[in-house]
Amino acid sequence: MRLLLVALLAVFAAQPAEAQLYQGQKLVEANLVADTSAIVPGKPFRLGLHLKITPGWHVYWQNPGDSGIATQAGWDLPDGFSAGTLQWPLPRRIAEPGDIDVYAYKNETLLIAEITPPEIFGAESVKLRARPSWLVCEQICIPGSTELELVLPVAQTASPAHADLFAKFAAELPRTSPPPFGVHWTRTATGWNLSLAGIEAAGQADFYPYANEKAPVGHMAPVQIAGGGADLAVPVEGSPEVGGVVIVENGARRGWIVSSKQNTELAAPAKKSAPRGLLGYLLLGLVGGFILNLMPCVLPVISLKIFGFMRQAGDSRAQILQHGLAFAAGIFVWFLGLAAVIVALKSAGHEVTWAFQFQNPWFNFVIGAVIFIFALNLFGVFEIVLPGRATQGISEAGSHGGLGGSFAQGVLATLLATPCTAPFLGTALGFAFSQSAAVIFAVFAAVAAGMALPYVLLSAQPGWMKFLPKPGAWMERLKQFMGFPLIATLLWLLYVIGQQRGTDAVIWAGASYLFVGLAAWLYGAFLGPLSSARAKTLATTGIAISLFLGLGYFAGNLFARSAAASPGKKSSTPTEGMPWVPYSEAELQRLLAEGRSVFVDFTADWCITCKFNMRTAIDTPAVRAAFAKLGIVPMLADWTNSNPEITRKLAQFERVGVPFYLFYPPGRANDPVVLPELLTEQIVLRTIDAQP
Amino acid sequence: MKTIAKSAVVLLSIIGTALAAPQTGQPAPDFTLTDSNGKSHKLSDFKGKFVVLEWLNHGCPFVVKHYGSDNMQKLQKEFTGKDVVWLSIASSAPGKQGHMAPAETNMAKEEKGSAATAVLLDADGTVGRLYDAKVTPHMFVINPEGTLIYMGAIDSVKSPDPADVANAKNYVKQALDEAMAGKPVSEPTTTPYGCGVKYAN
Repeated sequence: MRLLLVALLAVFAAQPAEAQLYQGQKLVEANLVADTSAIVPGKPFRLGLHLKITPGWHVYWQNPGDSGIATQAGWDLPDGFSAGTLQWPLPRRIAEPGDIDVYAYKNETLLIAEITPPEIFGAESVKLRARPSWLVCEQICIPGSTELELVLPVAQTASPAHADLFAKFAAELPRTSPPPFGVHWTRTATGWNLSLAGIEAAGQADFYPYANEKAPVGHMAPVQIAGGGADLAVPVEGSPEVGGVVIVENGARRGWIVSSKQNTELAAPAKKSAPRGLLGYLLLGLVGGFILNLMPCVLPVISLKIFGFMRQAGDSRAQILQHGLAFAAGIFVWFLGLAAVIVALKSAGHEVTWAFQFQNPWFNFVIGAVIFIFALNLFGVFEIVLPGRATQGISEAGSHGGLGGSFAQGVLATLLATPCTAPFLGTALGFAFSQSAAVIFAVFAAVAAGMALPYVLLSAQPGWMKFLPKPGAWMERLKQFMGFPLIATLLWLLYVIGQQRGTDAVIWAGASYLFVGLAAWLYGAFLGPLSSARAKTLATTGIAISLFLGLGYFAGNLFARSAAASPGKKSSTPTEGMPWVPYSEAELQRLLAEGRSVFVDFTADWCITCKFNMRTAIDTPAVRAAFAKLGIVPMLADWTNSNPEITRKLAQFERVGVPFYLFYPPGRANDPVVLPELLTEQIVLRTIDAQP
Repeated sequence: MKTIAKSAVVLLSIIGTALAAPQTGQPAPDFTLTDSNGKSHKLSDFKGKFVVLEWLNHGCPFVVKHYGSDNMQKLQKEFTGKDVVWLSIASSAPGKQGHMAPAETNMAKEEKGSAATAVLLDADGTVGRLYDAKVTPHMFVINPEGTLIYMGAIDSVKSPDPADVANAKNYVKQALDEAMAGKPVSEPTTTPYGCGVKYAN
């Protein structure tokens, strides 16, 4: 034993500065390599310290851990040359007896620095020197150092060298860009909690801290990623600022440089992981439901309802509350009905997504008919007669029989709201679609509650309504006026139908509505309680004929036979100048493989928010110019008609509705930026400009 | 519920770790060890004096750096001269680098000219683990009240090169000088550097 020690000491004493030999073995073989065949004045290149380590032994990372010492490159460059910071490939944690953890490299590593030569120099060749030193350990540790030099010719052009070696270790370098997941630091009693969220793959997350002289960071351990997230305890006394490398390992091993000084959140609200409990989603649903009231597609109904409240202001509190509750019940019945349909379809294995109903032209046709009838009602063409209350109509909703009307309005309001996926709702629904039936019902009920909330509150606190104008003759005019927003909504639906089925379908649907309208007029004019029996018979016959022509012939025959417009040639989005490329995953991947930058707009004709964004924030001269200048390919994913490929792409980002916007900066094919659902020109320009 | 249970376990283990690891400003954990001459030493018996603990492994290049440059011996001489108790502790397991029989230990001490008060043998690593000693040389300073006032590196330049000793700030000397002058230790904790302590597997 002693002999061995003496022999060892003799080795150190004899050749402290040489590449060390241990039992006749060279433990570390060091070489200097450059990624270029020649030095081009002013053109940066990469210089690497290549270390080959005897199996079983290791050399140390920039933070060696509990013991050992960081490897030093010891660059010695000619005057005028500058070296960038040393770039360290991802290390491995090695646990030694006695709770000693070190961060180290085994077998082989390449420490890389970017070297910038001067713009002008006369020499024909350049000698790059380094005097690297390291500590190499197995059971025991032995320091080593050597002197290296690399002579490179100076030329005006150069070809790559050691490309495989640099590519291999460049892939192991931690990225300096923000991670494609959320990183959130919180101080704890024992250091930091590093919370990761929204990691796409399963696997392990780990943190390798940088050295901190005054406050050593304690031991870390890899954590299994659960639900896209992981919480890492970073023990460091007094919780000073901490930096290091977060490593996510799932087959591949990738690292990102992070610092406790900077939290990076996910750009997307589609935060898969943030372990938001059911309660959180219910709350989101509630807020989202409330926001639905402000969506453009519900606005006509809101005015309608406020108008109703105004009329009811003179009634008894109990009656007003009853109306509010009836309206709320309508909202609930719609959402729970929708939940039931989704659960049923889900269990049947169908691909179900938010607003999917508007992809069905028949759905649009029927909604159009309902809206048209509603408008005629407001114009005074007829009064809705509810069962049991012959002459009471929806316009007299203040009376008891009007409860049915309030209920119907509740249903209509929600019907119109569905295509507007408000930002919060998107997350809550994204969650709901992957959940059990009970949870889907609960979330939809929360959405319904959020939407109904203002009406119920207002009807329970009618005091507020005294601020509203007194009822009078003007109300009839206002009621008639309210018909026009509904007709506008009808025009939008016809536009959607036109995009889905072509111009003929719009004409046939219009003709159908014409006869339905005629039937409504006959009903209102001749089926009142004061009409003679003969008039009633004639009117009923007329209604039957009108409905037969309207629904049977124009809708059932001509509309049904109008061909579905082919999605490919559809000029659905009136693009003034944006040279849209139609979306297909293959085309997208081809463009990304070419290193192109791509902006993908997921839209649909029935999505008013999408249209609004398109007009005000995307297809604008400024954005068009920026796209052209930066070479960004605009890609349009049109979801007007059901398109499984687009549905899958949306699902990949946990979305079930549009609008949805993705931006792939150059070279970030796996790491796109998700834009908000409500865009401004500034947001778009900032997103594309902010990227290198 | 599961989360609460999990948090509790995490919290307990953190507390457990905190209790186990020595901390500056806290009482230094007491221990009894036998030295290379067979004499038993109990830390609490040295109350009233400053005590330095030095983790030792003569095979480790970092220990070689500080003994080869005479840095460690000078430090030992200076402070044992000021009535400081200097205990070198060898926690290398049998069969591993730095493990020595008592006679061998005495010979090495004499050869190196070590001025330590005693070299304590901790072959099973009990005291090393008690102090969470990670490297050789890992240094600890205890004040006359028995409070740990410094732990960490011997000096500020992390290298095995003896030439660096001259340029380094010696943290042990700084802690002792400050404490003896009645001042608080300005840098009570630093990150130690060296070879890992060669504990039993």
